[in-house]
Amino acid sequence: MTLERRDVLRGALGGAAWATLGGNLGACGPTTLASAIPSDPFKAWFGIDRAVVDRVLAALGSHGADAGDLYFQHTRTRSVSLEDGIVHAASTHVDAGVGLRVVVGEQTGYAFTEDLSEVAMIAAAKTAASIARGQAIVPPVSATPTAYGGYYAIDVPWSQVGIDLKLPLLRTLDAKVRALDPSVTKVSVSWVDSEEKVLVATLGGAMVVDERPMSRLAATVTMVRNGVTQSNRGDFAGRRSLSWYTDAILDELAAKAVDRTAILFDARRPPAGEMPVVLAAGASGILLHEAIGHGMEADFNRKNISIYADMLGKKVAPDFVTIVDDATREHERGALNVDDEGTPGQRTVLVENGVLASYLHDAISAKHYGIASTGSGRRESFRHIVLPRMRCTTMENGPHTREEIIASVDRGIIAETFTNGQVQIGAGDFTFYIKNGWMIEGGKVTYPIKDVNIIGNGPEALRNVMMAADDSKLDSGGWTCGKDGQSVPVSQGLPTVLVSKLTVGGVDA
Amino acid sequence: MREELQGRAHEAVALALGLGASGARAHASRSRALETVVRDGVLEKAQESTSRSLSLRVWIGRRCSGHSTNDLRPEALRPFVEEAVAITKALEEDPFQDLPDPALYQGRPEVDLELADGTVMDNAAAAREAWGIAASEAAHADPRVISASTFVSQSHDIGALVASNGLSGHWEGTSLWGGAEVTVRDEGDARPEAGFYGGGTHKDRLPDAAAAGREALARALERLGTGKGPTLKTTMIVDPRVSAQIVRRLLGAANAGSISQGRSFYAGKLGQRMFAPSFTLLDDPLVRRGDGSRTFDSEGIAARPLPIVEEGVLRNVFVDTYYGRKAGLAPTTGSSSNLIVKPGTRSRDALVQAAPKAVLVTGWLGGNSDATTGDFSLGIRGHIVENGVVGPPVGEMNCTGNLVELFANLMEVGNDPWPYGSARVPTLVFDGVQFSGA
Repeated sequence: MTLERRDVLRGALGGAAWATLGGNLGACGPTTLASAIPSDPFKAWFGIDRAVVDRVLAALGSHGADAGDLYFQHTRTRSVSLEDGIVHAASTHVDAGVGLRVVVGEQTGYAFTEDLSEVAMIAAAKTAASIARGQAIVPPVSATPTAYGGYYAIDVPWSQVGIDLKLPLLRTLDAKVRALDPSVTKVSVSWVDSEEKVLVATLGGAMVVDERPMSRLAATVTMVRNGVTQSNRGDFAGRRSLSWYTDAILDELAAKAVDRTAILFDARRPPAGEMPVVLAAGASGILLHEAIGHGMEADFNRKNISIYADMLGKKVAPDFVTIVDDATREHERGALNVDDEGTPGQRTVLVENGVLASYLHDAISAKHYGIASTGSGRRESFRHIVLPRMRCTTMENGPHTREEIIASVDRGIIAETFTNGQVQIGAGDFTFYIKNGWMIEGGKVTYPIKDVNIIGNGPEALRNVMMAADDSKLDSGGWTCGKDGQSVPVSQGLPTVLVSKLTVGGVDA
Repeated sequence: MREELQGRAHEAVALALGLGASGARAHASRSRALETVVRDGVLEKAQESTSRSLSLRVWIGRRCSGHSTNDLRPEALRPFVEEAVAITKALEEDPFQDLPDPALYQGRPEVDLELADGTVMDNAAAAREAWGIAASEAAHADPRVISASTFVSQSHDIGALVASNGLSGHWEGTSLWGGAEVTVRDEGDARPEAGFYGGGTHKDRLPDAAAAGREALARALERLGTGKGPTLKTTMIVDPRVSAQIVRRLLGAANAGSISQGRSFYAGKLGQRMFAPSFTLLDDPLVRRGDGSRTFDSEGIAARPLPIVEEGVLRNVFVDTYYGRKAGLAPTTGSSSNLIVKPGTRSRDALVQAAPKAVLVTGWLGGNSDATTGDFSLGIRGHIVENGVVGPPVGEMNCTGNLVELFANLMEVGNDPWPYGSARVPTLVFDGVQFSGA
């Protein structure tokens, strides 16, 4: 029940990313996905006649609009989990509806309905249109549905995978975790997959479809040694099919979960106060997400309430820093063939060689700034309005090596795995929580650390990026970004990076 | 509407039993929500919606699974229930799975908790917009204001819960909230922001628009010139506007599920003194017009006040049917309702004035805690207090420690519980807290 602008990122302890990443496919023009997309997706996916859609669009434009759209969505989510060696819970969730939006300047009229009858949709269209006061516009007869990208085509759709095929995966992972260490006392394994069908029809005549698969496998482990209990978790997530979860992947995940837990028995709290922080390659992209990513979302900037509102074209970081937000990373959690307004997924450079290059735009902010949308308009579901959001946020390789970076630190920490982060858009203060890391003393790694909150200021942290290594990678954990009460899947990555000073939530000085 | 929802829930349960389930519980609900956002005096967003949902939990012996859908067309019900039953059959026996003991359904409070206000949904779009414009105007009463965004949202929710072993219940509630967020121009590029939100189940709980705008502005202005605080170990005074968050964090592991999985610092502590004697915490579902009030929980267990901590002694944790069986604990309820911390005698201002040195926390930023060990590290903002006087604002600081130790060092509780939301938590004063800053 809040409208908080302090935006949050939560994840499931990313880190140690190793997954092979697809390259940038470059082209984001229309592609034919004849096998996946039915010729009449309205009928096939939502049971609606095209003529009805045209009448709903006409109602949506009945008082005029600068823009408007229908966002049809059907999502089927299935989960199953195993605990104490037993498959103890399973669920399915089906959610379908249409969101109807009318945009006039910076004003939005919004309604949604789960009832896809013509009567209900026309009523919702009239509600959304009530924000407008102009002359009716006549939408062009809608075109042939178009699909873009192809960044996450999968071999077998999740709707065709029965629970019987998932149970062996859970049992195998459970057994692998238990086999790794005799001090493991409890294992919880959870699985979620979802299949989402999206159809955007705009008052401008565009009609865009997308199918978005998602899956996540997580293991939570409890270990007891000498009367002390510790627990931790690891996961893999992405727009991937069942065949991706090979035996080797399960070994990797089991090791990740056990290693991260076992190290806690030896881990301590670091000293408190300002010190250099080395961000390990991968999940440390949480730094970008919080320190700059949210502040670059153009809704905050067009309203002049972001700390980055006056910095476009200005030098904000050293020359070797290039930060991108990329929808085209194949099969990654934050990949998007097309955004939720029908703009093709693309790669957006936020900071190029240290200079602030572009905000992340949806159609409203793009119009405000007189430029093209960056395809960043996203919504949690048909129940939500569009907002500019991140996708896969990373920093490109720098000129240094991880070894050089660690050796350069006299007294500081390495941040390795994370649970969550948050930012205040206007003040620029951001935080992220380190679950696992290391102390560096005299250029050498000395002992493991745990449970440390880091706080800093976005622009200051960017200026204080001293070194970046040549090992940039995207994290493969299941990160979810929250903004204005809306959650969307994202990815993040980073090479090993040194920030000369951040405030470390340790104990004693 | 109530009859329709009860009918739908009964129908789903009957169909599941007919298809071979040995037990079933269904929840049917409907929510109508309206929201108006005004930014800088101009309507920015108007939203209206109606949501419906049917969720069904199916047992076949000791097998169990849960399912939900918003496709409520009559012809969709049978395939939905068929799939639920088929998936349940594919699972394996779990000896702890069962419906609640029907005895726990009994003793539902007879009192009218007054959770629905028939006039809430009569609040028209024009009234919401007028509230927003008035709040926005009040929030702009300073030349340093860059932007002020306000909202009013209202909803009416109704639902029915039916289970095959003798449960049938319904609930209804309304909610009306308004708030303002203000961003002000500071030195350099910084644009401090702050907000104020208030509301409740009844129309008279909506704050005065101008007062809400003024309060949001005052909080934003309070952040002007924020400096980085020092690294120090000292008293922490937590303002009542944010004290509920640290209490909720403390309770994160206070449930049978976490205990049964060895992921709770509450394991084995029932009946023991864990915290300072000044700390008494009650979960009370029977607060009249309370935001978290209810007569039964999501399993149908009849609601009753549940002492969690009495004078520092752990009395109860949240126990649902499944994890109660697993952890060997009698079910209480699986989730909190209204959290009430027993107030003390002094106000926040009096507590500040009595402090020789302290950090007054007025906001949290990120951070987390470990449910297994209680270790925490949280971002904060607030003010340094010296000799009873509130100093200039500080930020970019963390506080770090262990939740059990923190609440063992709870020195005093204020008399000023925050009036909005489902937690009534006053000012909290903790001794010897580690802060990190410059």
